[in-house]
Amino acid sequence: MRIVVCAKEVLDPDAVNNYALEGKLVIGDDGKTLTQTTIPRLMNAYDEQAIEAALRLRDSGVQCTITVVSAGADPGEILKHAAALGADEIVAITVDAAATDYHVIACVLAAAIRAKGGADLVLCGRQASDDDQGVVPALIGEALGMPVVTVARSVEVTNTAGTPQGTGASPAPVVRVIRVTPDGNETVEVACPAVVTISNELGQPRYPTMAGRMAARRKRTTVVAIGDLGLQPRDLQPRVTLARQFVPTVKGDCEIVSGTTPAELATSLLERLRVQGILT
Amino acid sequence: MTAAAVTVCTWGVGRDGGLPSGADETLTLGRKVAGQLNADLNWLLLGPMPADAVAVAGQYGVTAVHRIVDEKLESFRPDLYVEALAQYWTACSPRLLLVSQTYDARLVAPRLAGRSGAGVVMNGVDVAADETGRLRVTASAYGGDTRVAYELEGSSAYIVAVTANAIAPTPADGASAPAVRDIPVDLSRVEERIRVVGRAETEGPRIEDAEIIVAGGRGLGSVENYRLVEELAQALGGMSAASRPIVDDGWADPSRQVGLTGKITRPVLYIAAGISGASQHMVGCTAAKTIVAINRDPDAAIFRYARYGIVGDCLEILPALVRAVKG
Repeated sequence: MRIVVCAKEVLDPDAVNNYALEGKLVIGDDGKTLTQTTIPRLMNAYDEQAIEAALRLRDSGVQCTITVVSAGADPGEILKHAAALGADEIVAITVDAAATDYHVIACVLAAAIRAKGGADLVLCGRQASDDDQGVVPALIGEALGMPVVTVARSVEVTNTAGTPQGTGASPAPVVRVIRVTPDGNETVEVACPAVVTISNELGQPRYPTMAGRMAARRKRTTVVAIGDLGLQPRDLQPRVTLARQFVPTVKGDCEIVSGTTPAELATSLLERLRVQGILT
Repeated sequence: MTAAAVTVCTWGVGRDGGLPSGADETLTLGRKVAGQLNADLNWLLLGPMPADAVAVAGQYGVTAVHRIVDEKLESFRPDLYVEALAQYWTACSPRLLLVSQTYDARLVAPRLAGRSGAGVVMNGVDVAADETGRLRVTASAYGGDTRVAYELEGSSAYIVAVTANAIAPTPADGASAPAVRDIPVDLSRVEERIRVVGRAETEGPRIEDAEIIVAGGRGLGSVENYRLVEELAQALGGMSAASRPIVDDGWADPSRQVGLTGKITRPVLYIAAGISGASQHMVGCTAAKTIVAINRDPDAAIFRYARYGIVGDCLEILPALVRAVKG
């Protein structure tokens, strides 16, 4: 089966968070870009988990090819990482980040998948840790006419419930997905082709092995030009434009409870909560 | 005026059979934007109807209640819901559709955008229209570390999902008498492609509904110490919760995870023990009436959000609180 994983390069969200916690997050002169060059760029962690989900399918004996596609300003680095992890093919589409939005990216990725002859399974991270939008996987699904299963913690391939696609053909693969929902785990099945988004509950992704790193160095990146994807002008017309980015202010009116022993502190806190009517 | 209508869309009912969560907040925002656009405010309800919907619609200044009733919409099924909404879109073509960002809305909003050609923005905390009718959304990004303002241009219509607790529900000054209109849809040709083979079942109460929450984080030091959080929660008659890092490490169940990728809670009292106060976590608890922070580090960000703070080791403070509560 053909598995395509979509990956995005983001600013390290932990570094962004650390700067934010220290009150040192800087927005650039354009009023919208985080410009601290000390913040590393890396693969969106959920996308890394999507690659991990694909690798686990291969480990479980599923005959598959794993292609990792990335559209961005400079997708090279994260694609090398994908190759080191075990991707069979890496596909780079260079786009002008300032002139694209989620809509353009979704059109580009869907067209790239179509240009490759399609996919049986498209795996994406549940959302990117920079804009947190999480809309691209659903839009790829709509563009390719595939069902979309979100927030997976595990993905398996089973053919037992497959529907034969015409006479004599082998049944379409069926994926069984355990989803994390507000009410607990839900198990669903869907016939391929399908889009599945992966959540952190999948568990720790693997690290590249030394052999994987060596192989990645020799791996050629397939470079796809936007102009070759047969996109229409409306596909390349952004629908949202980032106008401004800012750090929200927090009110900060904390009263530090005083006391010398844990027992004193505890009593003192409870007294305040009771006076305020928060506890009875 | 129907050409420029703002539609608030909700589906199903809340756990008590009343309004689904976030409906009142989304209606409040919808009324504001409809006023700025000088447009009608419609409220579209799908699936099972909340008992008091029409009365609530009147309180929130809704022009018309639009209902889509079909036996195939009895419970949430994504393909059927997206198709029903796509047919609504063709029939009513709203300028702006607002949804509350529930778990299911996170999938429905972008799929409907793909189907209808509308633009879409998630994580919205505010929407405004200027004099020319141009829309702008403020949304949270980087797990709440930043806010972004997006200009909505390039499409004639938009779908915006509004984050829980971003807006204070405010009824209109005067009541309206909304018309009720049934919107017919034909779902006979839609096959749900996703088959549920194992249903999710919440066991016991959910932290989203809890009045008192005691949450633990990395500051607890080890998995064994999570029981201190559970003990205080139990002593207070509340529920225990956790930050994502310790859920990822298996100290607490994912159903107890508070934050951006977990649950959005709004308790009366939220006690955060050994939690640094990362934005990703705070997204899930800033709607609490009172936040109490217990942390060894006096500079921890959590103290900026808290009403009361104890600078100290939560391994000592939590047991002391249990003793004090039990008297």
